[in-house]
Amino acid sequence: MAYRNIIEIRNLTKVYDLGAIQVPALKGLNFEIEEGSYTAIMGPSGSGKSTLLNILGCLDRPTAGAYILGNDDVAHMADKELSGVRGARIGFIFQSYNLIQQLNVIENIHVPLFYQGKDISDYYDHCEKLAQKVGLGDRLGHRPMELSGGQQQRVAVARSLVNEPLMLLADEPTGNLDSTTEQEILDILDELHAEGRTLVVVTHDDAVAERANRIIHLKDGQVDKDIRKQDSDRKSENHYQEA
Amino acid sequence: MPGYPILRLIQVGFRSLRLHKLRSALTMLGMIIGVWAVILLVAIGEGASREAQEAIKALGAQNVIIRSIKPISDKVQLQGEMQWEAIYGLKNSDAVRIEKTIPGVKRVLPILKHRKNVTHEQRDKDCQLIGTFPHYPEFTQSRLIAGQFLNEMEEARKENACVLSMGLAGFLFPGKNPLGQEVVVRGRESQQIFRVKGILEEGADSDKLPQQADATGHTILANVYIPLSTFKALYGIKDIDRSVGSVSVNTVELSEIRVEFGSVDEVVPALPLIREALDKVRKDKVDYEIQVPINELNALKAQKARDTWLLMLIACISLLVGGIGIMNIMLATVTERTQEIGVRRALGATQIDISVQFLIETLILCLIGGTIGVLGGCGNAAFFHYILDHTTIVTEWSVVAAFGLAVGVGLTFGLYPAWSAARLDPIEALRHA
Repeated sequence: MAYRNIIEIRNLTKVYDLGAIQVPALKGLNFEIEEGSYTAIMGPSGSGKSTLLNILGCLDRPTAGAYILGNDDVAHMADKELSGVRGARIGFIFQSYNLIQQLNVIENIHVPLFYQGKDISDYYDHCEKLAQKVGLGDRLGHRPMELSGGQQQRVAVARSLVNEPLMLLADEPTGNLDSTTEQEILDILDELHAEGRTLVVVTHDDAVAERANRIIHLKDGQVDKDIRKQDSDRKSENHYQEA
Repeated sequence: MPGYPILRLIQVGFRSLRLHKLRSALTMLGMIIGVWAVILLVAIGEGASREAQEAIKALGAQNVIIRSIKPISDKVQLQGEMQWEAIYGLKNSDAVRIEKTIPGVKRVLPILKHRKNVTHEQRDKDCQLIGTFPHYPEFTQSRLIAGQFLNEMEEARKENACVLSMGLAGFLFPGKNPLGQEVVVRGRESQQIFRVKGILEEGADSDKLPQQADATGHTILANVYIPLSTFKALYGIKDIDRSVGSVSVNTVELSEIRVEFGSVDEVVPALPLIREALDKVRKDKVDYEIQVPINELNALKAQKARDTWLLMLIACISLLVGGIGIMNIMLATVTERTQEIGVRRALGATQIDISVQFLIETLILCLIGGTIGVLGGCGNAAFFHYILDHTTIVTEWSVVAAFGLAVGVGLTFGLYPAWSAARLDPIEALRHA
């Protein structure tokens, strides 16, 4: 089956200009991410992992190189355009859930659509379906403070799906969770992958990375290893079946 | 700016403010006090000024009042050492000249007044005897409450008819109908009987001089109106004052001439002409003064305008202080909600979206504060007016100005926090714990 590339990274470099010194964080990365793939990006501290995450998430711009997301080079877009790209093409899942405290579950799920100019009344059913999908169909009116960590992360997952993004971008999605809850969230991610969604997970946790079918190891701002697994080899799938 | 529903933004703004109820309330307090103060102070000032203006207007804005005054050292010694006579003041001829020669003059009203004493049976009272023309009530905006005022025929025939002011009628004829009854008006030289034919309620007027309290502690306006011709025929124009050891006589033909113009605009240009007409027959002797209600009214209005500016200045300062308070809190809020800003940015919010969100929260604070201030100020003014009986007038412009200023201040002082929220780096903001 031929997959088209969702992401193409070409000679991506990022240099932090600290005035007196210039710190290179990414030194010419090259890779593609195919539609429907599940990629883990790993690497020790200082490997450029976070920098890459920020650039992939269109929160930061590379110093040089190309970043093709969908069909557009987003590497050098202006802030306003990048906001639009984030809102329409990327689904963020953060380590610390990052729900908005004054909004309830359904409203939190709706936030990305809000910034697309779409009113919640027109998309209520859509948001509700996503809440049900992550198992929170009975918590629609709850505020984040009334939910457990695992539940909050489920809301965040539902939120990341609401705008039908090209890619789900997860940053240590289970970093704040205990092992049982971690499994639940990872199972949901597996499910999303099985549905054909494209996932990119930045993590230092092997257990998380094992679920992916591709692991990109970064070291000193360069790709150290790029390991692809067959879907049948994936532990996650076995685990999923066992569960 | 994307066409996101602004109502939704307002709703979320409310909810954000509700998360910190006390803080939001305290933030609004500055705005509330500012708006409240503006409306209340303006209402009090307006009330006081309106009362004064009404009094002056009652004199007639299209009227000019010319009064006889006694010039300094203008005594002529009569026979004997201790008898003096002063001849001065306005004359009938002055009234005629003004009516005939000054452009715009509709009519004139001559008035002659002496202090006398009026009695009916056992009751007596010091009063002011006023000789005047039949059109006196219209001129002074007085209201006839019973009977009739003096007429032309009585003037022509010098009849002994009189009209009493309301308080005096009540005093002399308690529980009785005074119409058709007789009163005696006693001066030093003569004593005359008049038939009461009407009762007059005076408008607010310069004649409403403070009256002496009577034995029962009441002060009433005691005026007796008679035809001018009767006055001159019966009492003459000499007002004799006998003090211990001396007699002084003031000979004044008319105490007052009231001049009515066709319109208010004709009053001021005619003033020099009136002076000229009067001075022409006088030899450097100033024995009259001119009171111009319209000028007093204008002076009062000018004073009012100055007071209003002062109040507005104070109001602006208090709103400024309120605005700075709001800015301070909003800046703290932005810092506190840095992570939320980061999340919203990551989820697609533009810088403008973020600014608008915080600007709306600031505006909500100001609008609620402004509304409470308006209600409080109006309520407070109403309390003064109805409960404490202190005239206050809430003017529309003060409400609009105070509210508008509150919103303006909100916008101005909301801009900086909104901008500082918008320019946060999304990555830094997300990392903010």
